[in-house]
Amino acid sequence: MISLAGITGSRPALIGVVVAMIALLGIPAFHNGYIEIVFRNILMYAALSYGWNVLGGYTGYVSFGQVAFFGIGTYCSAVLSSHGITNIGAGIALAILVNAVVAIVLGIPILRLRGHYFGIATLGVALAIQDLAANIDALGGTSGLALKQFDESQFFWYYYAMWAVAAACLLVTWLVARSKLGYAFVAIRENEDAAVVLGVSPTRYKVIAWAIAGAMAGAAGAVFAPANGFIDPSIAFEVDNNVFPIVMTLLGGIGTVAGPFVGALILAGVNEILQRFFVKIHTLFFGAMIVLVVMFLPRGIVALIGMRGGWRGFRRSLGAYRV
Amino acid sequence: MEFAQDVINGILAGGILAVAALGFSLVWGIMNIINLAHGAFIMLGAYCAFELFTRFHIDPFISVPIAFALLFVLGYLIQRFVINYVVRAPVLTTFLLTFGLSLLIVNIALLIWTGDTRGVSPSYVGANFSIGPLTVSWAKLWTLIVALAITGFMALWLGRSRMGRAIRATAIDVGAAQLAGVRVAHVYAVTFGLGTGLAGAAGALLSLSYGINPTMGDPFLIKSFVVCVLGGLGSVQGALIGGLVYGIVEGLAPLIHVTLWGQDLSGSGLQNVIALAVLLFVLIVRPTGIMGRATA
Amino acid sequence: MNFRRIAVFAALAFIAVFIAPAAPAPAAQDTILFGSPVSLTGALTKEGHLTQEGYEFWKSYVNSHGGIKVGGKTYKVDIKYYDDESKNETSAQLAERLIDQDHVNFILGPYGSGTAFTVAAIAERKKIPMVEGNGAAEKIFSQGFRYTFGVLSPAKRYLEGIVELGREKGAKTVAISAASDAFSLEVAKGAADYATAHGMTVVYNNKYPNDATDVSGVVTAIKAANPDIILNAGHLQDALLIHKALKEQSVSAKAYGYSVGPDTPDFVGALGKDANDVFGGAQWSDAVKYKADHPGFYDNAKDYAVAFEKVYHHRPDYHNAESSATCLAFEYAIEKAGSLDPDKVRDALAALDVTTFYGILKFDSRGLNVYKPMVVNQIQNGTLVTVFPTGLAEKKPIYPAPPWGSR
Repeated sequence: MISLAGITGSRPALIGVVVAMIALLGIPAFHNGYIEIVFRNILMYAALSYGWNVLGGYTGYVSFGQVAFFGIGTYCSAVLSSHGITNIGAGIALAILVNAVVAIVLGIPILRLRGHYFGIATLGVALAIQDLAANIDALGGTSGLALKQFDESQFFWYYYAMWAVAAACLLVTWLVARSKLGYAFVAIRENEDAAVVLGVSPTRYKVIAWAIAGAMAGAAGAVFAPANGFIDPSIAFEVDNNVFPIVMTLLGGIGTVAGPFVGALILAGVNEILQRFFVKIHTLFFGAMIVLVVMFLPRGIVALIGMRGGWRGFRRSLGAYRV
Repeated sequence: MEFAQDVINGILAGGILAVAALGFSLVWGIMNIINLAHGAFIMLGAYCAFELFTRFHIDPFISVPIAFALLFVLGYLIQRFVINYVVRAPVLTTFLLTFGLSLLIVNIALLIWTGDTRGVSPSYVGANFSIGPLTVSWAKLWTLIVALAITGFMALWLGRSRMGRAIRATAIDVGAAQLAGVRVAHVYAVTFGLGTGLAGAAGALLSLSYGINPTMGDPFLIKSFVVCVLGGLGSVQGALIGGLVYGIVEGLAPLIHVTLWGQDLSGSGLQNVIALAVLLFVLIVRPTGIMGRATA
Repeated sequence: MNFRRIAVFAALAFIAVFIAPAAPAPAAQDTILFGSPVSLTGALTKEGHLTQEGYEFWKSYVNSHGGIKVGGKTYKVDIKYYDDESKNETSAQLAERLIDQDHVNFILGPYGSGTAFTVAAIAERKKIPMVEGNGAAEKIFSQGFRYTFGVLSPAKRYLEGIVELGREKGAKTVAISAASDAFSLEVAKGAADYATAHGMTVVYNNKYPNDATDVSGVVTAIKAANPDIILNAGHLQDALLIHKALKEQSVSAKAYGYSVGPDTPDFVGALGKDANDVFGGAQWSDAVKYKADHPGFYDNAKDYAVAFEKVYHHRPDYHNAESSATCLAFEYAIEKAGSLDPDKVRDALAALDVTTFYGILKFDSRGLNVYKPMVVNQIQNGTLVTVFPTGLAEKKPIYPAPPWGSR
């Protein structure tokens, strides 16, 4: 039984996220390029996670191909840059437009597939688009494209642009969750066939969900590209950018509004800290951490924040998925 | 002539892909677990073959059942004591767990064996025979035969043996299976163990042609994904057919040449695009894969 | 136990650990701090470690021989490393961390062309000199970067020596296969251009995906083209796959050349006898006959190799040597500049012209070392020997290679 409040997720977590976002506005004041990069990446991962969450969390269609849209977004900015247009807003707008079109065109055949098959098809799309980018000389082929960057004194604009993208993703997710659109998505997730009977046209809504997901990922990519200064197929379609949003959303709390952000913050944060203290084996600890968190907090961290019953409630929750 | 040779190469390559994908398909189809650590288990199987060959001069083909056994035990223990905590959770939860596991396993392997690439070089590697103008590699042919044997054996075992039937029953309805006396925790562990064992066997077979290092399993994980879906989840014959089809498509890809917007494109650099096109085509025509049954 | 409070605390603790700049390292007075993002994990682990070995070997030599003289003072050397997991953007981020957080004076390059490119972009923006020895793609040097220098010969030269060697022995046709990454493609193009410019015919020139698990199709096509020389520009994994496939399909050529592979002991280890007579293009080998014209390090390749092997228990390969040479470039430039000021050191690097155990260290206007030749090594009876150019060779090349059936 879905309580309507359950669609947006835990209220305290949501408030926490908004507070955190406001706090993050202050990062450029530290004038430390490294810290700016760290938090800019967290915001980027948050945006990617929100994108995945709309399709995977709310609509229930697990996509392994979000990185395709991210990559397309980076190339949009890169192509504009090579024609002299370095306005970040232009890059974002183009990325959203192109990705929406791609999502609609690809969505119609691919969204007919269900469950696992849909997932693999999206993976295939991501791989294929990466291959195409690597083979088309006009897009730089495997050598990629360099982008004109702002100078050091103007560099913080990239941070704010990414913040704006992440904030927009958060807002859109919240609005969608409370709107008819959100209910339609959840209806499809819970029982697609019943939804059809009740008059919800699944293809239309699934395509909308995918377009939103693609737009979010693309916008993040459009800001990432000039901030990084250079993209090639391996950077634009980096496997991590495919897997991390899923991991982050799951850890944070899937199908909630606060989840993706919390997951991005925690995962990226822990990764940074591990890197600092365990230069050689940080990946090993990272893997161990994920294993432990999933074993003991399968419903995500946001669920932990909303959990009642203290320690005993926690212990009881451990048995939920065992056999 | 090139065409025929390419087809043969493709079939030979497809055999290994089939064995690699078989374990993945079983675990996914029966337990609804997407095992992202599958590539890591393949890698462990390859290292088994390497150690056995270097230390005890055991031929890689003989290592196959040994690697299978070792990896089976490992998989059983991992399922029973780690994955079991969340085995009934939504598929994504286990997805996440196996992601963490794969990081763990790869990095532990890195510590044990370092990043050096190893290989096994028994004397018969490269030996081949000719049928007219076509050449067939002995090692690859035997690999295909072993792959067929493994697939056939698995199909029979799952169909006829008691444990096989228990596994299939659990896949269909856990509650009913329990009522019928099936020890579900044990069955799940056996199934997962089979998955990792098959991965280990595939790894041992791979050691003959592929360099061995901690990250070698990644491309095989992705291909296992595609092969499984192509052939139909949870179907043993499906994994075999999917593997062969995929192998043939990859083998024929270099023959394709297109000119697009003034640029010459050769199929050999576009293998993924071609594979996707084939996959999408199959899924549109048969949405549950070539041999798949519609599953809930 | 109120989980909410715990969560809030944890979140605050997090942000705090983050923002607190890393405890100011006891930046010992009189120490020059270098920073280097290297691939300690990920696909390029092995090469990343070789790079680190090369840097560390130089560091201990310098520190035990009095350090670097800057102006009137002597400075010790320290190097801070981070693991870029073989990923391009991670390398760039780590470079920023090294510069902004750890306050390094200079950057020692990572392993690989992709990573070197992204780090070079950062070095340029922050105006901190960077020298690298492990990224040979020319695109790094065609962006107009002023702060990046590469001590190694450019990618396109990797296989030229093998083509030239074949040409001198009468070979007429060449087949080239390449992996789909920027470096390999540059290597392939360089070889193809060289062959065509010198009157040979390129009968096959195609690429395959980076993560290819089976290259039989490539080999079948090469067989049909029947070339004298078979070249591959790729990575160790591909080199192994291709060489095994060549034998499996009985494709015999007069010479086989790989851009990566023959120089690593793993190649011989994995192929056994089949590795014999294979050529590899290398930036350096311990048989080259350069004599350093500047004191402060090993005089020649042999001395370097012997000392290196004592510490690391393996023969140094060219990744080790070029990494040590990278540090040498900095050492000599800093001494010449007489200061640690980034721009002064940068100018000294641009004007550098010195011969070392590794070869000549001199950069053209783009920062690329076009003055150092590549060597060609060949595996003879399981050992790697230098066979070309004749002036630097220790043995004669074996050509043509015996056909597969008769090995």
